[in-house]
Amino acid sequence: MGRAIVRHIISKVPSLLLFLLLGLPMIALLLQWLVNGDDKSALLSFIGRETLFLIGKSLLISGIVALLATFMGTVCGFILYKMRLAFTGFYKMALLLPLLISPYIFAVAWKDGLFWLFGNNAAFYSDSGVILVHTLVFFPLAMLIIGSALSRIDASYEEAGLMVIPFGKMLLKIVLPLIRSAITISFLLILIFSLSDFSVPAFFGVRTFTTEIFTQFSALYNFPLAIGQSILLLVICLLLMLAEARYLSDAPFFSVSVRGSMSKKYAFQKRQALFHALLWLLLIMALVLPVFMLGTQSLTGSILFFREAWILMGPAVLQSIKLALCGTLLITSVGLWSAYVKVRLNNWLPNVLLLLTFIVPSTVLGIALIRYYNLPVLNFIYGTALILLLAYLGKFGFIANRIIGNGMRQIPVSLEEAALIMGIPSWKIFVRINLPLLIPSLFAAFVLSFILSMGELGVTMLVYPPGTELMPVKTFTISANVPEALTSSMTLINLTVALVLITLFFLAGKWLFKKFQYA
Amino acid sequence: MRLLFIKMIVLFMLILTACSHSSNEVIVYCTVDQVFSEPILRDFEKETGIKVKAVYDTEETKSTGVMNRLIAEKDNPQCDVFWSGDPVRNSVLQTNGITDSYQSEQTNLIAEYFKEKDNNWTGFSARARVLIYNKNLIATDSLPQSVFDFTDPAYKGQFAIANPLFGTTTFHIAALFVNLGDEKAKQWMNDLKANGVVIAASNGDVKKRVMNGELAFGLTDTDDAFEAQKESDAVDFVFLDQQGSDIGTLIMPNALSLIKGCPNTENGKKLMNYLLSKETETKLAKSCAQMPLIKGTELPDNVPSLDNIKSMNIDYDITSAKLRDIQPWLKQWAEQ
Amino acid sequence: MPEIILEHITHCYGDKEVLNDFTYSFEQGKTTCLIGPSGCGKTTVLRLIAGLETPSSGVIKIDGVKVSEKGSILIPPHQRQVGFVFQDLALWPHFSVYKNIAFALADKKDTNIKNKVFEWLELFGISDKAKKYPHQLSGGQKQMVAIARSLILQPKILLMDEPLANIDTHLKERLLLHLKDIQRQQQFTMLYVTHDHKEAMNTGDCLVVMNAGRIEADGSKEEVSLSSSEFVKSFLKS
Repeated sequence: MGRAIVRHIISKVPSLLLFLLLGLPMIALLLQWLVNGDDKSALLSFIGRETLFLIGKSLLISGIVALLATFMGTVCGFILYKMRLAFTGFYKMALLLPLLISPYIFAVAWKDGLFWLFGNNAAFYSDSGVILVHTLVFFPLAMLIIGSALSRIDASYEEAGLMVIPFGKMLLKIVLPLIRSAITISFLLILIFSLSDFSVPAFFGVRTFTTEIFTQFSALYNFPLAIGQSILLLVICLLLMLAEARYLSDAPFFSVSVRGSMSKKYAFQKRQALFHALLWLLLIMALVLPVFMLGTQSLTGSILFFREAWILMGPAVLQSIKLALCGTLLITSVGLWSAYVKVRLNNWLPNVLLLLTFIVPSTVLGIALIRYYNLPVLNFIYGTALILLLAYLGKFGFIANRIIGNGMRQIPVSLEEAALIMGIPSWKIFVRINLPLLIPSLFAAFVLSFILSMGELGVTMLVYPPGTELMPVKTFTISANVPEALTSSMTLINLTVALVLITLFFLAGKWLFKKFQYA
Repeated sequence: MRLLFIKMIVLFMLILTACSHSSNEVIVYCTVDQVFSEPILRDFEKETGIKVKAVYDTEETKSTGVMNRLIAEKDNPQCDVFWSGDPVRNSVLQTNGITDSYQSEQTNLIAEYFKEKDNNWTGFSARARVLIYNKNLIATDSLPQSVFDFTDPAYKGQFAIANPLFGTTTFHIAALFVNLGDEKAKQWMNDLKANGVVIAASNGDVKKRVMNGELAFGLTDTDDAFEAQKESDAVDFVFLDQQGSDIGTLIMPNALSLIKGCPNTENGKKLMNYLLSKETETKLAKSCAQMPLIKGTELPDNVPSLDNIKSMNIDYDITSAKLRDIQPWLKQWAEQ
Repeated sequence: MPEIILEHITHCYGDKEVLNDFTYSFEQGKTTCLIGPSGCGKTTVLRLIAGLETPSSGVIKIDGVKVSEKGSILIPPHQRQVGFVFQDLALWPHFSVYKNIAFALADKKDTNIKNKVFEWLELFGISDKAKKYPHQLSGGQKQMVAIARSLILQPKILLMDEPLANIDTHLKERLLLHLKDIQRQQQFTMLYVTHDHKEAMNTGDCLVVMNAGRIEADGSKEEVSLSSSEFVKSFLKS
């Protein structure tokens, strides 16, 4: 039967391609690691008391970060998506911006900020410094995910609750359980982001499992040990994510009414000032203070550096945007396809593959890509920007897959079946019914992938083709030994470019939503 | 949807064409700060017409990118010339069989002392280790005169060194181990710990903390010290261990290696010869105060000449080997 | 000749068996009501006939042609000439009323789309709503749109899955009468699923009472109300 064959092709052929492009490099690296260990006992030497202690400590720090950030994200998400408050549009955009600042720059700005304010920042060089910075950088992710889940709850659920129990209890007993999966996925994503960042703990002199892996790679060049440790980290993340997939992601509690669901909004007239104060406090901590520090640093140097910074950054800006756009298109397309085959055709392979490349430490992913693609015949990939697109896909494909998959699950199957019975071809059902209904999810996935691709450094650093100029790489390689004012100016330029683009995206999004009458 | 697809393909093509290979090129991986190395590579491009494609990295994050890349690319090298800020990395690559030996008229201008004996790397323009201090926090006459003074209780908790696992600091420590012998060196390191040494993330971080007034003084490289002087009037630097019987300060040259089996060998050699010249050394002296190794190179006034500095007497290869020996110990020391 | 025949159909969702050896012939041109408590397998019968589910065992024939058998769909849904009104109506939220109805015609390259759509809209008295979107309609209007959409391709079989569950009795009766009229004109077979036995008594020519995946009683209204089954008695009483 034609439809079944087409379905098979749609599901299997790209899976195979994805496996060849991203799965095989990782497997090849794993095999090399297993085969090349001359001394078999050395293979397991990375597991010891010391390692276990470090893993425990890292999990504790990142767990606290994930908990705090998810909590903050939930509160902000509620205030911004469920309440009638002035300037929510502004807050939504502004609070998203910390995601654009690399955690390292954020750490530097905060450290300097504290020193500038109090003349002492010794307390900052500790676990709590790492926790503070990571929480502030990653909470917008939770805000975005939880906020969008909140705005999708049908008003009737809450209203039905309000008939029988007080508001607070209703939140706890009805709203929270309804957004359980959004909360869990935020928690896990942030946990993984925090676990895999080495720049902030390294800067604050805090030893974590990731800095340990980094040290093995960069000081001792001990590849087998570093890869072994990475595999351990990978297994931990994988277990967490699989637990989540097993218990939560398919829990059938999400229903979007086809009658054009209306989200309930609350007013709280008397407490408006309190909420504004709360949001501003967050804004100051997460955005104003770091940007202010960057601003003063770029202005108080002995010379003005904006011009010089622009001369340095200029050529990289266009290239970065171009690449991030291509990468984002690729990520969104693959995310859409992989979400479709998972939700509708029950093919899990691409999903698991993207999860794997997402949680593997950047250095390992980079090395796997180099070892696999650095062949004369594959030079058209390794020697060109294609390798970067693959790297972006590996790093962020999973996030797009999750966001789009969530959206897909909320489209009632009956909408497709109604068209199927009338003999509408599958591709047309997909293009005319699924795609338009997925626009909000596609848009969210697009913007997030773009932000993340623009700033990606870990893998990019390892695989970017010689001679390519990219904003994060340039900021990073130049910032080492130039006056602080220049670095700060460059970061501000980065931030401005991203901000302008995101504003453009949001305008385009508004137009799209309006056009398809569904937001 | 189809339109989107077409647009994607067009974009891909654009990128592909943007990165197409031209044959007359040279690929250089560089760990010297991009602000200083890039202008020189551009000059080479202009003068020879050979296109330079560079991958930059920075010592600030331990050159992880470039180093791991070179090691992973071993079987099909993409890079022609490796330009490193110090010889340690070249030495690591040499042990991994990644560098090739190269000798020419230009390499002969450099003293044997600053070269690997089989010409796997050749040094040029050098930096030195210095003490950087904040004039507002410590008087010039009460500064330590030697690294061994750091253990003086008077300085307790007031000074920093960068993480000894990385960069020039690790090389400095290894040189001290070679000079003093393991036992004495370890004792000194432990005494530093006991005297509250702050371990900064990098040399740049040492500079910044001293500049900000977080700490009174610290060890860093001449280029960082010169930058700091430009940025802040409160900062100055001195060379340590300059008295008669002292061990002298550590001198670290830039180091160039030709990569074994590289794709553009001839252009790679041309680039190396270009870099190993008085002109390049003068440019580096002007831009980041690096001290020329070729005799008779023109110097700006504010850059000291190597002739006027008492330098530590070391063998770079032995020191590199030592470095690998003591790294596990250093790791422990840093992490305790 | 009976039009739709289900022979020894068993159907499972995972481990859960929802139909067990279900055999029945639905008569042509008549309205058969499937009634029973929720979860008894009524909807599954409709979905099997539509070709949206594959039977775990048994055979389904329409007009003497085998359309499904154990483990496979022989004729795909759109070639079975069925219309389906879903329980949740499944109106496409991003299409206007007009587009919802016209979508299938447009795909068939029909030349007279506009007239046909408005014919149906007028038949239901909602032609003024053509430009509205589903969320701008009342419950009853949405149901009319859903029914009009399922009839636009002039199916031989109309499958209705409790589509009138949430509207008031008065409106429901009017709509059903309307539907009966249309059925007389167009001569289609209608299968109507409901859990409300009074509605079934009013609507169906024949009744099938189901419980736990099996038929408890079937036949005309009179025959069913005289059934000796304890289950049927208590279900009809409630």
